[in-house]
Amino acid sequence: MTINEALMLNLLAGMLSSFGAGAIGALLCARWPRAARVVGHTFALLGALLALGLGLAGLAGGTVSVSIAQVLPIGGVALGVDRLSAFFILVIAVAAVPSAIYALGYTREYEGRYSLAGMGAALNLFLASMSLVVMARNALTFLALWEAMSLASYFLVMTERDDRETERAGWLYFVMTHAGFACLLVGFLLLSHATGSMEFAGWQAGAAAVTGTTRNLVFILLAVGFGSKAGVIPLHIWLPQAHPAAPSHVSALMSGVMIKLGIYGLVRVGFDWLSGGPAWWGGALLLVAAISAVLGVLYALVEHDLKRLLAYHSVENIGIILFGVGGGMLFQTYHLPALAGLALIAGLYHTLNHAVFKSLLFMGAGAVLHATHTRNMEEMGGLIKRMPQTAVFFLIGSVAIAALPPFNGFISEWLTFQSLLLSFQIPDKAVNLTFALSVAALALTSGLAAACFIKAFGISFLALPRSEHAESAREVGFSMRAAMALLAVACLVLGVAPFTVLKFLSKTTSELLGATPDMQFTWNRIVTGGSFATVSPLWIAVALAALLASIPITLRVFRANTARRYYETWGCGRAVQTARFEYTATSFANPFKRVFSVLYRPVKELAIEFHPESRFFVRTISYSNEARSIFDDAIYGPLNRMLRSFAQRVRLLQSGNVNVYLLYILVALVVLLVIAR
Amino acid sequence: MTLVKKIWTTPVVTEPQGVIIEDAQIEIIARQIDERARKLFGRSLHIREVDAGSCNGCEIEIVALNNPYYDLERFGLHFVASPRHADCLLVTGPVTRNMADPLRRTYEATPGPKLVVAVGDCARDCGVFAGGYGVFGPVSAVVPVDVVVAGCPPTPPMILSGILAALEKREQRQVEITQQ
Repeated sequence: MTINEALMLNLLAGMLSSFGAGAIGALLCARWPRAARVVGHTFALLGALLALGLGLAGLAGGTVSVSIAQVLPIGGVALGVDRLSAFFILVIAVAAVPSAIYALGYTREYEGRYSLAGMGAALNLFLASMSLVVMARNALTFLALWEAMSLASYFLVMTERDDRETERAGWLYFVMTHAGFACLLVGFLLLSHATGSMEFAGWQAGAAAVTGTTRNLVFILLAVGFGSKAGVIPLHIWLPQAHPAAPSHVSALMSGVMIKLGIYGLVRVGFDWLSGGPAWWGGALLLVAAISAVLGVLYALVEHDLKRLLAYHSVENIGIILFGVGGGMLFQTYHLPALAGLALIAGLYHTLNHAVFKSLLFMGAGAVLHATHTRNMEEMGGLIKRMPQTAVFFLIGSVAIAALPPFNGFISEWLTFQSLLLSFQIPDKAVNLTFALSVAALALTSGLAAACFIKAFGISFLALPRSEHAESAREVGFSMRAAMALLAVACLVLGVAPFTVLKFLSKTTSELLGATPDMQFTWNRIVTGGSFATVSPLWIAVALAALLASIPITLRVFRANTARRYYETWGCGRAVQTARFEYTATSFANPFKRVFSVLYRPVKELAIEFHPESRFFVRTISYSNEARSIFDDAIYGPLNRMLRSFAQRVRLLQSGNVNVYLLYILVALVVLLVIAR
Repeated sequence: MTLVKKIWTTPVVTEPQGVIIEDAQIEIIARQIDERARKLFGRSLHIREVDAGSCNGCEIEIVALNNPYYDLERFGLHFVASPRHADCLLVTGPVTRNMADPLRRTYEATPGPKLVVAVGDCARDCGVFAGGYGVFGPVSAVVPVDVVVAGCPPTPPMILSGILAALEKREQRQVEITQQ
């Protein structure tokens, strides 16, 4: 099927005008919050649907290029769609469509409290700038859109700005994203200077001439810049603050999609702009991937704020994606493009999958927040009885993120494992060892992630309600459930029929690497590395379904006594059973806290106040057990202090005396005249 | 010398061991229990012990069932940690006021078909504790009892025979039901 450019152009124009109409419409309706809410989110939904069409058309082979020279200096606005861009547009749209539907219902309670017009406008701008940034074809367009995306998301994070915690989270996000932006800016300028072009096409053509320190410096700067957006450890600190603070559909978009644009940037840097580099690039990415994945999931395990837990899981999943990307770069260094293709497919497939299940989980957490008004898991419980549909959707998301079949996380993690295991084809012992350690790290991560979601689902949804809020929780509205249902179905489809996406992905990586990936697939099986490994996602699903179905059948066949008698849960014969007897999130996490105490460095405080007459009577006991972040202590704390002391010294210049300022001007003028003579 | 003298002058204070008639007996009873349990429950017998206020004399005898001498596990008779897993409840002691409700809950939590064996004189009629302010009543006052094993405390073979009797009784009742 050929897609002509006119169709692509129409889709692009339609998408942009929808987002534009949404932004302007929401602002025009500022007086009527309800209208602003409906207008903003309906147009966002329309735009997202058109983006979905654009992404699919682009993956089917459609291309488009637009350049408008008048808008921006140095090359103007240049947009274009290739398969990689189209894939990321698809990822954005897949999360954006349900998010817009979800937001229609979710933002109802914001009416009268926060500005829905501002929120609608920012959301539309956010979606538009994200979809456009992956289409950017020159440095300035990219940077302008990247900044627009960061600012729009900053405003969305700051929606509930009367909360002090939100204010701090927003500030941290603002600082981190701009530090990353600065790295990108310097990296882009260096690359432009070295290749003599601001166009991405020019970079690709001239990259071979960029050698030595410049090449490495460009890579490091761009990797740090994109890494800070992706939230890799140790640049992750903004992520667990900003994601919980944002409204849940925005958290879904930020966590599901925006951080993936960092991955987009890394893929572009590694495979397109610089097209390959020394082995340590890929090795460094693998190292960062391992640290992000393992530490991300470990921090998630001890987190009891449901949304913050999910945010830490985003750090973990970015690590898993980076295993694919970094592995791909290493394979490319050793001239194994077929394996590089496989690794990249694994990474990109996990990108899509993570967008789907993480959006689903954030929406589930949002629904719980909506119903119970708390993010603290210790105050939830028993929600499966009160919100059965949300519970099922959250469970599907949990199973998917824990990489269990038949859902989508399993397929992409399987592919990641396969690509890492196939590294024995590299004839270098040190590299083989790196890969082997990566496999170990990935395996540990998968196990810990499963444990973490047993906690997340079990503590939040099962057992008795732990607070009055949880007791009085009720199922959320239709639009929110519909959005979650869409994503849950997507989790299943991507897990059972991966060939639908792999078809596009193998073309994408072929286009990028110039070689077909080392993978064959049909509608029911995937074979990697010749005949190294095979998986049949469909048959796994069928087998699991058969296993479930076999339980009632077996009972019937053996004429088991299936009579039912309802009685309370066995509680060791206690007369009263309250939620205080239940297993808590803290106690679930405690074994992990002990085993990994080197990393958590838990701070325990136990204060007991005794009765003055006798020590046998206790008046109050207070116990606190907190995990501390190594990164805050080792990196950000000292950095913060250094900046502060530096700023204090700079302040000496700012005396407030006008005469001194006039002196500065005079001195500057004299110096300039001397130099520019 | 004093030691020798002491040994010489002190009579034997322990009772003679007597003839052990139980060895063969216990094996026969336990095998019968297992056979009947498999017929009734489709698997080996799982037992949950409930101390409803006993002096722990009966518990010592019940614990003896698991020691290397009797070793009930070899016949497939297990003591389990939860009534949810049990087929049979062994209840000891007079039921105290505090334990009446937990005993009832334990009985309800046990899946049917289930056996209840009241072990010891106290479980039968409160024994020496009858009339105590903390005593609620015999086991049969709280839950339906299949068989009562008398003795203060009953010996391990007696307890086993009690379980066997309960199984036989249940079997007979089933035969009667099917005959009707």
